[in-house]
Amino acid sequence: MALFPISSKFEGDFVLKLVPVDTENTMAEVAAAAAEHSVGVHVPDQPGRPIRARAEGSTEAYPLDMKLSETGLGPTDTVEFYFE
Amino acid sequence: MALLERSAWYDLARSTEWTPSYISQDELFPPEMSGGEGIPAEVWSTYDEPYKVTYREYVDVQRQKDEGAYSVKAALERADLYNKADPGWISILKEHYAAVALVEYGASFQEARYVRWSKAPGMRNMATFGMLDEMRHGQIQLYFPHEYIGKDRQFDWSHQMMWSNNWVALGARHFFDDMLMTRGAAETSISANFAFETGFTNLQFIGLSGDAANAGDFTFSKLIQSIQSDEARHAQLGTPLLQMMIENGQKAKAQNLIDIAFWRSYRLFTILSGIPMDYYVPLEVRESSFKEFMEEWIVTQFMKSIEDLGLSKPWYWDIFLRDLDEHHHGQHLGTYSWRPTLWWNPAAGVSPEERDWLEEKYPGWNDTFGKVWDVMIDNFVSGRPEKTVPGTLPMICNVSQLPIVGTPGVSLKDTSIVFEGRKYHFASEVDKWIFEQDPERYKHHKNLIDRFLGGEIQPANLDGVLEYMGLGVISPGGDDAHGYAWLEAYKTALAPAG
Repeated sequence: MALFPISSKFEGDFVLKLVPVDTENTMAEVAAAAAEHSVGVHVPDQPGRPIRARAEGSTEAYPLDMKLSETGLGPTDTVEFYFE
Repeated sequence: MALLERSAWYDLARSTEWTPSYISQDELFPPEMSGGEGIPAEVWSTYDEPYKVTYREYVDVQRQKDEGAYSVKAALERADLYNKADPGWISILKEHYAAVALVEYGASFQEARYVRWSKAPGMRNMATFGMLDEMRHGQIQLYFPHEYIGKDRQFDWSHQMMWSNNWVALGARHFFDDMLMTRGAAETSISANFAFETGFTNLQFIGLSGDAANAGDFTFSKLIQSIQSDEARHAQLGTPLLQMMIENGQKAKAQNLIDIAFWRSYRLFTILSGIPMDYYVPLEVRESSFKEFMEEWIVTQFMKSIEDLGLSKPWYWDIFLRDLDEHHHGQHLGTYSWRPTLWWNPAAGVSPEERDWLEEKYPGWNDTFGKVWDVMIDNFVSGRPEKTVPGTLPMICNVSQLPIVGTPGVSLKDTSIVFEGRKYHFASEVDKWIFEQDPERYKHHKNLIDRFLGGEIQPANLDGVLEYMGLGVISPGGDDAHGYAWLEAYKTALAPAG
């Protein structure tokens, strides 16, 4: 377990945000942490639609149960979050 | 004793030169201080500039300028501008004085470096006056806001900001250290006098002067006109050097210096000029949008001066033109969202009427930046003010030191590289390109996020960040300039029927 900062690029937001997460978090948990700082703050909520994460520029989402430590992401790398 | 006519002695006096006999030329003018390597020795004495002024004339004119500005201030002190002006205008004064006054004083050191290290005797002569100009600008822009400190502690930032670790101060110091303080005299003059002053101080000092008069602040209008009349003179210091570089086979170097300084200046002025012009200046007195000012002063006039010299538009010209529609809107959303980190109270500038104006000036604004404001407005109106200030920090560019912003759904993007094992983030391809021009120059600097993640800011939470930046220490942080009165129209619109 280790604190791990990522840069969140949330679909519809205007700014990249620093989001502290943990290497043991699943990508579903990472997405929830990113959503806390964007959804209902700068991005309208879309109830019922799950939030997915992918590497910036990628078209493929990380599996929701994948651990952050398994993604190959480095500290402060930018992750795209979007409503599925 | 009769005085000689100026023409009888001026050219001789300003071209008087040292002839070193017991030290070498490089010891007298060390390359790292003087710059201009590769320009033949005999060329320096040909440096010529259009403003031929003597000390006697200079002092007389400057006295008249001071007299004009100070007498308007004295005459209007009882007008109680602070309580009568729109709060958005007061915020502009707070932002301007803090961002500008000590930088002007710093610029006197920039000019002083020319006085000692420039290899062109004519430049050393003119820079002496430039140095005195900048001292005047530092002093007058500290004196004028001083009367407001008793009314509002946020005006104390006029003197404190550049000594603080406020995020704007980190950006301003990074920029001005790069442009004014850490290059050879010749190169500095191209970055600072030609690109920064000729291009961009017009924007702040002439652009805002009209808005100030319209807003009834004749003191500020007169003050910045007085300053700009000096800037227009000493900004000319760089042009002869550009010509010398170009004529001596260094066109690419000159172009590179301008391309770096132009982008850095532009991005800084999106905060200093862009946000106030499009959001803080009361709608009824706005002369033009930031983009329109940029098109007039930069796209047309400054570019003409570049092309007249045989240089080209910066390579990123298309990126720049697109950016005029985008960047400062993102920075305004950022500064307003993180308003506790400011030393001024930002005006939201997004009432229904103001949004109509924004949409007219920037077609598509409502469908992009406006959507973010819709969420914030809903939070305000629905009684969730805590959701209107983010609970984390924005990612920060390692060159501009500004938050990495973009148009929602269109252009928000991270641009990053790994250099010597460290990851650097940039707010644009151009910022990355600037870093790559001279990584040794930029690689050591730590932006706010680097400091936060590195444990330099304690406690490592938003309270710790605010204290680190001087908020709650020098003065309280920012809050809505108008006490959220602009939300009334939205409350009415969203009120339940019946």
